[in-house]
Amino acid sequence: MSKRTQNYLKVFLALFSMVLMIYIGGALLKRAKVDFTQEGLYTLSPGTKSILSKIDSPLKLKLYYSKTAANKGTEALRAFNNYYIYVQELLRQYVSHSRNNLSLDLIDPRPDTPEEEEAGVYGLKKFNITETESYFFGLVAENESGTEKVIEFFDPSAKDRLEYELTKLIYTVLNPRKKSIGILSSLGVVAEDVNPYMAQIMRMQGKPVSESWMVVKMLKELYDVKKIDLKGDSIAGIDALVVIHPRGLPQETLFAIDQYLIKGGRLLVFVDPNALSDRSSQMAAMYGGGGPSFSPDASFKKLMDKWGIEMKIGTYAGDKYLSGVGRFGQGQMPSRLLALLNCDARCTSPYRDAVTAGIDRSLFILPGVLTKREMKGLTHTPILSTTEKGNGYTAASHEINNPARLFEKFSEGTSPVVIAYRVVGEFETAFPAGVVPDPKDKKKKKKGKTPIIKKSQKESAVIVFSDVDFISDQFAFKNTFFGPALANGNSTLFLNGVEALTGDVDLMSVRSKGKINRSFDVINRIELEAEKKTADKVKEINASITRFQGELNRLGSQANEGNIALLQNEGLRKKKELAKKVAALKRELRMVKRVGREKIERIGKFFQYLNTLFVPLLLIGFGFYYSRKRSRITQMKTVERDEVRS
Amino acid sequence: MIRISPAVKHLFVKEFTSYFKTPLGHVFLVIFLFGIGYLTFEPGRGSFFYIREASLGPFFRHIPWMFLFLIPAVSMKLWAEERKTGTVELLLTMPVSVAEAVIAKFLASWAFIGVALLGTFPMVVTVIYLGSPDLGVAFLGYVASFLMAGTLLAVGGFFSALTKNQVVSFILTVVAALFLLMAGSPPILEFVSTVFPKYFVDLLESLSVLGHFDSIERGVFALSNLWFFSVMIVFWLYGSIVLLNENKAD
Repeated sequence: MSKRTQNYLKVFLALFSMVLMIYIGGALLKRAKVDFTQEGLYTLSPGTKSILSKIDSPLKLKLYYSKTAANKGTEALRAFNNYYIYVQELLRQYVSHSRNNLSLDLIDPRPDTPEEEEAGVYGLKKFNITETESYFFGLVAENESGTEKVIEFFDPSAKDRLEYELTKLIYTVLNPRKKSIGILSSLGVVAEDVNPYMAQIMRMQGKPVSESWMVVKMLKELYDVKKIDLKGDSIAGIDALVVIHPRGLPQETLFAIDQYLIKGGRLLVFVDPNALSDRSSQMAAMYGGGGPSFSPDASFKKLMDKWGIEMKIGTYAGDKYLSGVGRFGQGQMPSRLLALLNCDARCTSPYRDAVTAGIDRSLFILPGVLTKREMKGLTHTPILSTTEKGNGYTAASHEINNPARLFEKFSEGTSPVVIAYRVVGEFETAFPAGVVPDPKDKKKKKKGKTPIIKKSQKESAVIVFSDVDFISDQFAFKNTFFGPALANGNSTLFLNGVEALTGDVDLMSVRSKGKINRSFDVINRIELEAEKKTADKVKEINASITRFQGELNRLGSQANEGNIALLQNEGLRKKKELAKKVAALKRELRMVKRVGREKIERIGKFFQYLNTLFVPLLLIGFGFYYSRKRSRITQMKTVERDEVRS
Repeated sequence: MIRISPAVKHLFVKEFTSYFKTPLGHVFLVIFLFGIGYLTFEPGRGSFFYIREASLGPFFRHIPWMFLFLIPAVSMKLWAEERKTGTVELLLTMPVSVAEAVIAKFLASWAFIGVALLGTFPMVVTVIYLGSPDLGVAFLGYVASFLMAGTLLAVGGFFSALTKNQVVSFILTVVAALFLLMAGSPPILEFVSTVFPKYFVDLLESLSVLGHFDSIERGVFALSNLWFFSVMIVFWLYGSIVLLNENKAD
């Protein structure tokens, strides 16, 4: 073999072994990664990893994404491609942590194919783009025994919750047996399930259809939810009990709750000094009767005393720095309301609690102030509060209707006001003497006094929130094009609470990764400023028109047969004046808008020039300088050489 | 610690400074910086200012396509010119081995591309001024660009050693770079999968420079990515060394 052939063979072999080394090395080193993103976007949380480690049989993930259709579609649809890449990347992480138990299939369902039909059968959301093309973006998880769960559609706006959704999907396939949660509430939180067809018919007939709260519907996806009778005398067979707005409960029910806790039960309690979600009290208020609907009432307070938790009725937790903007009544201008407590990371991050961690946006409505009293054997941990500048404030009903006055009256505090507490430990009964059955109830009288357990034998836990409204549909959800969507982290907070108590700590620790705002702050500020100025101008224009109409009306009322012609002239003159004024204001309005737009365009142009021309021009300048310098040196050297020669 | 021989060091410095002594180096830098700036801010919906996100994503998205033509332009003269003018004989009579010469020249050209990337600093200033970018991801974007440049330069160096004609070297490098960039793209994989078995498709996908670049640029630095770029650089350089030894023997 000639040297040349040998060398070419060497090159060929080198390239061949390079390909093999890349392939093998890539497969071996696939898992060794460092995630540099601030939000840890590509890192699975320990909770997910723990759930993945529990998979002991093959589980198939089918990711349906109509990529071809998306590429043919509009720009907005193509934008979903980026999210698809992210979902795919995250799912690959799941697969690589599953000890080969998870497999991922990527499916692009084309029209009139078995894949498209299958996607429809699984119940994935279908959007028709053209007559032939339809768009799918969902996931199906299937195990060997045929249990299947789906994510109907991946909404890019819920990117920060993606990991939770994926882990929940896998968790529900792994744990098809749902844990059971009891809900006891004085409000219509849990309604009887009416099938959608029947509901439609009932609505058509004008009959009211009562529906469960959305948070309860969400809970039903994960748990077996049982409605606990308000007058029940025993609570058993559930993994956790949710008590919402406890008021007017009979002694037997209170005793049942007390005993349930002492036997090691878990409680999630929502009390409220002013529950706006209580429609019955709102109706009463409309007709001039009753005050705010509050809980706990005196009898439930007796239970809370034993937990070492107190909430004063008529006192609310407020914080000027967290106050939300809203309208208090129809026709009122939006303003800062102390009643709305817009909690962000400042409310949750100091506590680093599994229930509230990662929730940086939640909204409370007139929440109460929780205070603790040290009790032997119990540990109280605050899990959510206002900032240090928050304070408790008292407000009577008429004061609540005057938010501006309330805002002025409020004095800042020096330490956070707690809105949610977790109490863990061994509890004592609030009914050491038990309860005597109602003498009128013959059945119970026959049964006699129920045996009492006076002290917990094992640890129990209670989580108390001082607001009820925050989990209601009105404040936790919003309506979007794709149906109801989460308005904030409120429902997550509720689910976290339930999960923490049912012991699914793994799933609980997989929560929102948090969103970091990366929009152009500078541009946003300019736009906001321009919008504000625009709004002022619009207000000015409207005020002029209203004033003019007022004057016109006044003239009209003064009109009589003798002065009608004069007044008509006066009216016309005023109308002309107004038209001129409005035209001038509109010109100013256009100017304000233009100034804002031009300012943004100027910034855009500046950075475009900076990035395209600045360094190239510097380089050209440097190049000229350098070449001139070099030619001068060469010239001088030539002159020197010539001189030496001569 | 790795000891760099003085000959390599000297050759590196000589080669590196030579880029700035000729107008060609300046022209390359100006075209690269103007081009990447223009593409990033190009009018259209993918434009940096239209997206309004303080991220260098729109900027890094264009880097591979700028490199596709500019890196072959830098690499074509690495050996082809020296071989055509015969200076390669002169170079190899110096107390420097072929391997050392290849490494020195490669490192010099890589450092030159590094300077070109440093010249894009106004982009970083821009995003920091306009919003709050994820600087970790931005840093990784630069690392990914630099590693990709190294790989394409090593490939270009190989083709430059293969031929005496700079134009042929340029075209071969562009074709090879295009193949390496597109190897993992779905239409190509889909086409290949209709003819070849799945493991071949996987093999092809694992060779995708763009796939590895995207993976780092998104903010995840995987050892497999580093392995890919390192193996590519080492083997293509080895190929250059073998080819030059062969030509030396001629």
